[in-house]
Amino acid sequence: MKQIIAILRDERVEDTKAALESLGVLGVTFLYVTGRGQQKGEVNARGLGGSLDRNLCMPHECTAVESSHDSIQEEAGSPLHSDTEFAFDFLPKRMLIMVACDEEVNRIVEAIVNANLTGRRGDGRVFICPMISAIRVRTGEQGNKALS
Amino acid sequence: MIWAVIRPESAQRVINALDVAGIGGMTRIHVTGHGKEMGITLGAVHYKEIPKEMLMIVVPDNDVAKTVMIIRAEAKTRSKNTPGNGTIGDGKIFVTYVEDTFAIRAAGKAGGT
Repeated sequence: MKQIIAILRDERVEDTKAALESLGVLGVTFLYVTGRGQQKGEVNARGLGGSLDRNLCMPHECTAVESSHDSIQEEAGSPLHSDTEFAFDFLPKRMLIMVACDEEVNRIVEAIVNANLTGRRGDGRVFICPMISAIRVRTGEQGNKALS
Repeated sequence: MIWAVIRPESAQRVINALDVAGIGGMTRIHVTGHGKEMGITLGAVHYKEIPKEMLMIVVPDNDVAKTVMIIRAEAKTRSKNTPGNGTIGDGKIFVTYVEDTFAIRAAGKAGGT
């Protein structure tokens, strides 16, 4: 039994859900998180200075960042507050958490990767961790039975 | 994989320190919870759930000790009453295994963070 933890783009969550559904995998938990990768959110932070390489970023991510930036500038009329810088530093992401039996892990990872692949920075990661057991609260079933 | 539950007010300090150490990739989750003290009573009000910040960091095995040390050092509260000893509610760090890591962009396996 494995736990699959994936960090995904917000806008790819629906595609991911559909891909998992077509595999018959229905038990998934999504969390709203913020995160950053090795580039430390720099791609979007630079975008604030107007020199954003649009190929590095999803188009509507750019508009979201820029428009919120404009409104902040208008309101504050001063350099960005440290909290604001922080908000761009950590980008909104979704975390997928699910538990699957060993045989299904490869298929699920493949589906997640295919649904989220854009080739740009920020596509996310998938982590596979060992999971010792699962218990269905309603019936008390344990192990793989609790997953199906 | 390191899960650290820390005070929201110390999160930025921890992140900056990890930055300096070259650990850039991480995920933040806003959570609420309580420890064995079952929350906190301030005046007449008992708060059962206290807001915390959870950091999820995946690092290569060699970096785990370093990362844990940095989080410990920075997440500890430093008040006059408790110099260097921290206070209840500073948080906990959990370390688990990751068997496999896939970078979606590269559509393949990746090591480390």
